[in-house]
Amino acid sequence: MINAWKVLREIARGAAITSRHFFVNMTFHTLRLFGVKTKRRGAVTIQYPEVRKELSPRHRSLHRLRPREDGRPSCVACMLCVTVCPSECITVEAAEDPDPEVQKAPTRFIVDLSRCCFCGFCVEACPVDAIRMDTGEIRLAATERSALERPLDKP
Amino acid sequence: MSGTKTVALTIDGRAVTAPEGANILRAAEQAGIDIPHFCYHPAFAAEGNCRMCLVEIEGLPKLELACSTPVREGLVVRTATPRVEQARRDVLEFLLADHPLDCPVCDKAGECQLQDHYDRYGRFPGRFVEAKQKKDKLVRIGRGLVLDRERCILCARCVRFLRNVTGTGELGVFERGARAEIGIFEDVPVDNAYAGNLVDICPVGAITAEDFRFQTRAWFLARKPSVCPLCSRGCAIVVESVTGYPLPEAKRRVYRVTAGQNPAVNGYWICDLGRAGRHDIDEGRPAGLLRKGVAVDGEPWQKALAEVTAAIKAVPGSDRPARIAVVLNARLTCEELARAKALFVTGLGLDRISFADRTPGTADGLLVTAERVPNSRGAFAAGFDPRLPTIEELTGATVLLVFGSGLAAHFSEEALGRALAAVPSKFLFAAHAGPLDRLFDLAFPLAVPAEKSGTYINVGGVRQSFERALSPPAGAVPEGEILTCLAHGLGLNLGDFDVC
Repeated sequence: MINAWKVLREIARGAAITSRHFFVNMTFHTLRLFGVKTKRRGAVTIQYPEVRKELSPRHRSLHRLRPREDGRPSCVACMLCVTVCPSECITVEAAEDPDPEVQKAPTRFIVDLSRCCFCGFCVEACPVDAIRMDTGEIRLAATERSALERPLDKP
Repeated sequence: MSGTKTVALTIDGRAVTAPEGANILRAAEQAGIDIPHFCYHPAFAAEGNCRMCLVEIEGLPKLELACSTPVREGLVVRTATPRVEQARRDVLEFLLADHPLDCPVCDKAGECQLQDHYDRYGRFPGRFVEAKQKKDKLVRIGRGLVLDRERCILCARCVRFLRNVTGTGELGVFERGARAEIGIFEDVPVDNAYAGNLVDICPVGAITAEDFRFQTRAWFLARKPSVCPLCSRGCAIVVESVTGYPLPEAKRRVYRVTAGQNPAVNGYWICDLGRAGRHDIDEGRPAGLLRKGVAVDGEPWQKALAEVTAAIKAVPGSDRPARIAVVLNARLTCEELARAKALFVTGLGLDRISFADRTPGTADGLLVTAERVPNSRGAFAAGFDPRLPTIEELTGATVLLVFGSGLAAHFSEEALGRALAAVPSKFLFAAHAGPLDRLFDLAFPLAVPAEKSGTYINVGGVRQSFERALSPPAGAVPEGEILTCLAHGLGLNLGDFDVC
């Protein structure tokens, strides 16, 4: 038979923890209301998505290809990101660039967000600093799989 | 090398024997000691212009070139002393002083000797602060080859190849000193059937092929040896394919076919026809089983093969020689031909067995032969008489089994259509889709030679066995498996396991 006494004791313990958090937070919020400076602050809930927290400067979010001066991506399609990608989510197809100094440019550059693990290895590997993960775009959910295949070379 | 004299020498403290007249570089290579080099190629006489293979020889005050110094009795060679290592670093520093930092966009990256040697023997920081020379980066020199003069290290392997091997000599070194560059004479482009080898022998990415240019990177390629099936020379080839990630949407599995080495057959070269063999592997392949030319989805070939067995079984034993006709081809391997012999001749007692192959071309005196099939010697060796079938022979049959699409090269589509209309059961086994498909009841997709293992006997009688270089596309099977399954279906034991 289940020991009913033990069950009730655990429920009471849980309720105690929740109420402790409530009263401790309330105490700190009340002290702050009356202008008392304390080392610790009461917990604050951010009303996401109406309110957004600022992202850390070294965060990793949706990838982008840095453009050249003329607007084309600065990627040279060396495929080092494709090589280093641990989740095998990058597809690059290259073609001859009309500019002989550039030589090689991507005709397709697709990141499959359904596979990407946001490790940032592609950014590290890029020899021309073309790919960056600093768009701040972190809401990447989609209703179809195809929408997760993001072409980065098209603006 | 039985008749030649050998000499004994010491390389890096190791006792080495080498045939008289060989150079130190080859002797060291055979002993497993790597001496880095750019301009030396075993197919040509040593030129010694890259200075990378310098070694120390006891008793000589200066470093000597390993590629052009012949071995002598009692020679003591050292390849790893600080002096040699410093010399290698100096040579690399001079080469890299004027070499563009193109590696990310260079097709050769990953299989570039300059990269490899720097990685192994260089590893110095760059000291060259002056502006690098600007040279032409995109010069089309003919035959789908692109020359990048900035990357060129002037080893002149390409020049020597065109002079010594093809004898055409389209390329030369122009200007002098720092302005020296490779080029074609006036406007006469490189135009010979062996030009593709220039890409293989270029130690850096100076000569690249347009067909491969920018398609993928060298490190994604799986390299598997095979034998070229496009003529009866049977050159050693290397099939370079990408089968997993990063496979692009475009269905290109085989990115290039490069030359393998076989001193008994092709040496170090293959012709451009063999290089174009990648189209043969990837293009025009049927998507699956075809019924009257219409694709049937999801039907396994084993099930469809039961129809072939039933059609053969329906013919009474005594009528079989007159009413069953088989058309084979000389792209079948020796093993498959032996199996065909055991099944059709010994097992079923057929005598209407003919061969249909692609039409002969012209021999070019170097490697390409007139016969454009790999194994006609093998067909003779298996005891067949490779002759073309007559139209009457096809018409008179009740059951017709055709291997390969060679018939289309010899008869017009209408003639074949009329002939086959009279045949009640007709089956095609072909690796490539073609006009024949819709004339047959069933067309089974087959594997191409690169997708199977077997043995070919070349024009000179050399037997060459090869392994499967890549797996066949879904549903395609080698002829050998078809023959084995047919035999099992007919209750004839060829000595194989039942794979069906």
